Amino acid sequence: MDKLKVLQKLASDEGSSSRIFKALADPPTTSLQRLKGLTTGGLPTFIDVGNSFGAPAIIEDNLIYQQLVQNGKRVLMMGDDTWVQLFPDQFEKSYPYPSFNVKDLHTVDDGCVHHLLPSLYEEDWDVLIAHFLGVDHAGHIFGVDSAPMIEKLEQYNDILEKVIDVLKNQSGPGGLHENTFFLVMGDHGQTLNGDHGGGTAEEVETSLFAMSLKNPPASIPSALDSSSCRLDSDGKKICFSTIQQLDFAVTVAALLGIPFPFGSIGRVNPELYSLSSGTWNPPGTSASNYKHWLDLEKWMRNYANVLCINSWQVKRYIDVYSASSVIGFPSEDLRHVADIYDEAQNNWSHRAKNLSLCGNEVPNESCDTSLTILQGKIDAFSSFLASVAELARSKWTEFDLTMMGLGLGVFLLSLFIHIVAIRRADKLCQISDPSIGDSGISLRFISTLFVVAIRACSFLSNSYILSEGKVANFLLGTTGVLSLRRSIMKKRMLIEAVAFLLLSAVLRFTTEIGLSKQEGVSVFMRMLGIDEGHPVWMFIPEIVPMLALILLSYLLLRSTADNYCWRVLKYFFITGTILSYMLIAVHWALESNMLALPLVLGSVERNYVPRMIYAIGFGQLSSLACAQFFKQETSNYTESVLIKTVAMLSAWSSTIIIILGRQGPLVALACIIGAWCVIRLGTLEEKAKDGTIGVFTTDPIPVTQWSLLAVCLFFYTGHWCAFDGLRYGAAFIGFDEFNLIRQAILLSIDTFGVSHILPILGLPFLVLFQYPYSQGTRGRGIFSVKLSQVIFPRFDCNELIKWVFLIHNNAGLWKS
Amino acid sequence: MGKKTETNRSYRDRNASVTVSVSFMVHLICVLGLAIAFWVAQNVYSINLVSDPTQTLILLWVVESPIVILLYSLLRRNPEQCSYLKAVGRGIVGLPIGALLMAFGAVILGAPIGIQYLEKTVNWSLLMSLFTVVPTACVFGSSWEDWQRLFAYTKPVEVLDYIICVPAHGAVIGTWLGAWPMPLDWERPWQEWPVCVSYGAVAGYLLGILASLAFMLVFGGRRQHLKGE
Repeated sequence: MDKLKVLQKLASDEGSSSRIFKALADPPTTSLQRLKGLTTGGLPTFIDVGNSFGAPAIIEDNLIYQQLVQNGKRVLMMGDDTWVQLFPDQFEKSYPYPSFNVKDLHTVDDGCVHHLLPSLYEEDWDVLIAHFLGVDHAGHIFGVDSAPMIEKLEQYNDILEKVIDVLKNQSGPGGLHENTFFLVMGDHGQTLNGDHGGGTAEEVETSLFAMSLKNPPASIPSALDSSSCRLDSDGKKICFSTIQQLDFAVTVAALLGIPFPFGSIGRVNPELYSLSSGTWNPPGTSASNYKHWLDLEKWMRNYANVLCINSWQVKRYIDVYSASSVIGFPSEDLRHVADIYDEAQNNWSHRAKNLSLCGNEVPNESCDTSLTILQGKIDAFSSFLASVAELARSKWTEFDLTMMGLGLGVFLLSLFIHIVAIRRADKLCQISDPSIGDSGISLRFISTLFVVAIRACSFLSNSYILSEGKVANFLLGTTGVLSLRRSIMKKRMLIEAVAFLLLSAVLRFTTEIGLSKQEGVSVFMRMLGIDEGHPVWMFIPEIVPMLALILLSYLLLRSTADNYCWRVLKYFFITGTILSYMLIAVHWALESNMLALPLVLGSVERNYVPRMIYAIGFGQLSSLACAQFFKQETSNYTESVLIKTVAMLSAWSSTIIIILGRQGPLVALACIIGAWCVIRLGTLEEKAKDGTIGVFTTDPIPVTQWSLLAVCLFFYTGHWCAFDGLRYGAAFIGFDEFNLIRQAILLSIDTFGVSHILPILGLPFLVLFQYPYSQGTRGRGIFSVKLSQVIFPRFDCNELIKWVFLIHNNAGLWKS
Repeated sequence: MGKKTETNRSYRDRNASVTVSVSFMVHLICVLGLAIAFWVAQNVYSINLVSDPTQTLILLWVVESPIVILLYSLLRRNPEQCSYLKAVGRGIVGLPIGALLMAFGAVILGAPIGIQYLEKTVNWSLLMSLFTVVPTACVFGSSWEDWQRLFAYTKPVEVLDYIICVPAHGAVIGTWLGAWPMPLDWERPWQEWPVCVSYGAVAGYLLGILASLAFMLVFGGRRQHLKGE
């Protein structure tokens, strides 16, 4: 958005002493991973993302601890507290601020500003790190193209101006900042929605601004210069070079004159390296063309030496790694890399002897040749380092074998349990009704199997994972069309079939629209071309969720009205749930600025409302669990299961709705409509067979529809299968401060609420409504068989899919 | 209603005039129409589905629609009660209605929405309508029973049913399969909506025609033979 004008101005004004780089990060682009990558110079391993919430300290060799601290440099840190988690006691002094409350745009930044400027006048540090977080949080909450984002960037521009002023004022000979090197960089980018974690261009490409307070005497030869220039709007020339973030650690290490981190596979970047005047000889007195040549030759010699050390370090790391690692690199690739290294090394030791400094008197031929030779060296080492980095990027799949084995084990175990359960239930039925045998495989069964198989296969492909929501919707639509065909055939329930199709279309539209940060409703308004400022339309996004809530509670009342058992519990549940619905409405009313309620409640008091809702939900669940123990068996098994299911769902619903935010009630409504359609369409088959329960083949289409619907709802609520698909904002509803376990629970409820918790708990409906008349033990036997048969394919495909997905992500991340 | 069905049935039995050779001719002319449309697009306007999908689709359905409507109206049910012009009229009305149905189906299954796709979707659904709805409309009109029999039960009885039913199902299934390459990240121009879907539809239609001919030779021929005896 071109808001950081001061950096652009500096880069175009001051010629060679400051520069803008396009810094390419390696995915995953989460902060913790990037910080690790920046300080160790290695490639982040994928499995670490899971640790992003509770960062364990880095134990590998890294820039901060092993090198800076051990070499007696004092490091001062301020800002994001991830640094302190990574480097618990390496900082000389630190001012950490909590980083995980994404709603808080200012605490970290204000803290930074408060400490940054005074520190610039102090002499008690060698390296100062200031990590600002406002832009990241503004992106997470509001998206990139938003007013808070622009505000934040403008604020940064001011801060940078001040910092640079201070630095410049002190940069005279003998000044405090004579040899200061100033870097401004982003550790990762953001998508347009303000999320990050993946590997798209927006997330990976960041900028790095580097400024040396002392001008280097000459510029590097063009062969090492990769910059591309363009004219900006004022007609000034702005040049960008490209740097890999991988190279950052070694380059900074080289600039500071400390050993390279052990595990780094980066290359010292010539442009960034040359920017600091410290890498050049002290400027001599004779300023002539000859002097320039001499400087350049010396710098290149210096740089070639640095690269030589760099290559040696990388080679050693690769050797150690492949000797110790189980998986390691393929041997032919290793040999190839080793060959390049040997060649470069031989070349170097061979030529270094012959290489004379070019004549002390006049620039002559030998000068030119020595430059060419040096250039050759640099190229040889660079090609070695580049090939190592490429090899590492392509092959570095560090599997967490134990975790994967565990996942596979859990999957197999669940499969085994399912099979056993089905066998047992089958036996139960055989006893109660021996006439039941297996019947033939129907066309519908085949088509369902086909759909599930397609879905499972689609998870083997990277591009299908990216568009999983669309694929799921496509399959849902297909099953909907099949149902429509069926209902035309039976001439019944046309409305349900069409409603189901319409629902899937609506889900699809809103999934596409809703991927932006705004509430689906208001975007819909804008799509219709309705002026946002109109007062009537302003109220609709506020009122529609409330209406949906009222409708939900009405449905709940009605569905329980004609059940007579468990009377006390029922009333208790209904009142609890409706009370929490009312609380949700109150919460939104308080949050909304539309109703212009006076801010009578502080933020702390405001948090009590969601907490009460969580408490009610939890209380309902635990009382349900207690009731399970104390209640003896009722005669009417079906009915009791029904009421238990309703109670379970109503207990969960309020929590899920409030965590989902304003889309919550609409999602719940969509859920109910979809479920109703699926159930009704499922009964289509059974009633046609003159109401007998004898036929035992489960109709698999409703189950498939149920499962696909759940997947669609997952995407509908604005999630997708990537780490940037997590809605971090949801973890802070009702709480302001960060607590790992609590927030993780809320986040997982948000993520899996609609797609897993509600549909799985709702599965008994599917069975109950298909067999409304089954009674007693026989009904129970049928019920359990049905239930297990119903759950089985769902879990089967789900778990298989997840397992494949997990492995694929591990392996495929570096491929893409 | 029941009585009408009875009369229909009797008509159908009496009026088994559509023979395998006639249906072969019908199919041949339809395929030739498609081929001519493709040829014209390629050689006269030098466009194809990939380079200019909208124009090509327009050309395809403009060339194909008179052929389909006029041909299938010849095969109409109950020629005594229903004039040729009426059948043509049914076909013309069926074209946009079928297009609406097809567009609805496509949008449910995930066709992109937006102004820039509107033209393509409209033209594609008109072509699909020609493959599926229009022949049925021309032949059976608004007889719900026949529609149900053909598209819900998929139980073609006589030669005429095979001519209509099998290619229509082929086109729909071909379209469905044709949508599969769309999410792949090959970034080829033909992965765009509705290019590969149109190819799938045409391919499915052609396969359906072949299949319907085969069916007719196997079942229809035997039936005719039995009748002859």
